[in-house]
Amino acid sequence: MSEASVVVSPSGNSALRVVSVLADREAGWRLVHHLARFVDAAHVPGVECVIPTYDAALIEIDPAEVSLDRLGDYLAHVIEGLDHDRPLTDTPRTFDVPVLYDLDGELDLQTVAAAQSLSAEEIVRLHSEPTYVVRCLGAPGGSPMLDGPPFPNPVPRLASPRAHVPQGVVSVAGRQATITPAAAPGGWPLIGRTPLTVLDLDAEPFVPYEPGDLIRFTPIGPDEYESLLGTRMVAR
Amino acid sequence: MSAGILTIVEAGSTHVTDLGRRRGPRYGVPVNGALDQRSARIANILVGNPENAALLEITALDLEFVADIDILIAVTGADGHLTIDGVGRPSGQPVSVRAGEAVALRQLQGGLRAYLSVRGSFDVPLLLGSCAPDSVLGFGGRLAAGATLDLRQATSPLFNDHFSAELYSLDVPRIPAGFVVDVTDGPDIDDFAGTADRLFEQPYLVTPTSNHIGLRMTGPLPERISRGEVLSRGVPVGAVEVPPGDELLVLHRGRGVTAGYPVLAVVTSSSLDVLAQVRPGQRLRFRRVSSAEAAARTRADLVALDALRLRVGAVFAALDALSLSTTGRTLL
Repeated sequence: MSEASVVVSPSGNSALRVVSVLADREAGWRLVHHLARFVDAAHVPGVECVIPTYDAALIEIDPAEVSLDRLGDYLAHVIEGLDHDRPLTDTPRTFDVPVLYDLDGELDLQTVAAAQSLSAEEIVRLHSEPTYVVRCLGAPGGSPMLDGPPFPNPVPRLASPRAHVPQGVVSVAGRQATITPAAAPGGWPLIGRTPLTVLDLDAEPFVPYEPGDLIRFTPIGPDEYESLLGTRMVAR
Repeated sequence: MSAGILTIVEAGSTHVTDLGRRRGPRYGVPVNGALDQRSARIANILVGNPENAALLEITALDLEFVADIDILIAVTGADGHLTIDGVGRPSGQPVSVRAGEAVALRQLQGGLRAYLSVRGSFDVPLLLGSCAPDSVLGFGGRLAAGATLDLRQATSPLFNDHFSAELYSLDVPRIPAGFVVDVTDGPDIDDFAGTADRLFEQPYLVTPTSNHIGLRMTGPLPERISRGEVLSRGVPVGAVEVPPGDELLVLHRGRGVTAGYPVLAVVTSSSLDVLAQVRPGQRLRFRRVSSAEAAARTRADLVALDALRLRVGAVFAALDALSLSTTGRTLL
């Protein structure tokens, strides 16, 4: 390879962080996920876990079994052989997610709209228009991390994070969007809630989607929300 | 089929846990598990268990239980007053308990968390291969008085029939005195420009909002120079961050696996065990170490644990032989 496609740096004494420096962000995202899948499948001794995200992968090791230097050399070798043009999934699945948007002002939709100088209805339209690619599984509980809707500005995080964000809420922050599969504290503004149950502790992973799958949000009313409450999230 | 039942009499704040859910972070789920990994490993080693066997993590408060079979236990971590039917017994050693005797661990001090292993461990539900509680997923949880745990194995008492003296005294690695927390430079240290060194200037005071997800502390705050949106990335356990507000945040094993804050420094794996023992209201000091020093320390810890495992194995083998020849009891 003529130019380095990643920067590898230690992240403590038991993890390496691999960050893509490819100009093409899509290619960088594919690269770190292909890397994660390769390392997973290879069962590299001493590697405990790989956490691929948007442009980076955190690779956690057991320092008793492998050194960060040796792992770094190995990863450089692996990355040279990866084709970052290959799609993550040949046949991405699509998940339809009905959302009761927060038009009653119970959550943060009005605040988000005000910060964008848009109406709440415009925010709903912009949020439910795109088909989103699941970029990675994040905190908490395997949230599908999505590129945010095409709002004019990044969405500010809440000045004071909520101690309890219930499961099923739909939120946005910065240029990102997600659904929360499990109740947890959180600082992202909430713009609606889905009646679907995302988390299934009997499955592995606990969530039905994987990076590369697609998500579409559809506005619904309170009655439909009630009738769908507890339905499992499944692909189309 | 369980060999016996352990019944909690006084629960305090006790959880069944192990070394953690190592496959979890791949799926957005924190690793969790014993916060003081070294003490948990030692507790299991002392009773001849695999190091990852399920054991009790006791936080700050008193614990009391009874088992309906003979068991062998060991207590490590924070110092406490261990009694069997009211008689004081040593921590950091395998201790025999007869069926029906009350085991109590009280007055934890010098640390926040103690670990109690039982030879043969417990039959408990697993999630992704681990019994570690996860407060976000709602898996596992704090034991309540009256709760029962299925024991896998009875262990006949290891007592010296003639003198009822201690049969062994194992040299167990101790918790380091004083709270010094080693960190290596984080991957985003440049985001803090010249202010990163503030981390090492003065002690930090641990605040009461600290828990298994992270410790919050007040003290001189390094300042993030860079601005703008940071994409969520995987953050390591031990990440030192400066979120908005007036506190420093150090992530522990319950941390959300992705976050959007720059990582200033990362606590070494050995010092995460130190953090597990710091109580709110106590002060700690950060010390910068190189990656090489951190790696050397980790190796030294492992060598010490390996040596302990060998000694325990030798003691059990000798006691087994002794017991078979003098009393006919089978210990293992």
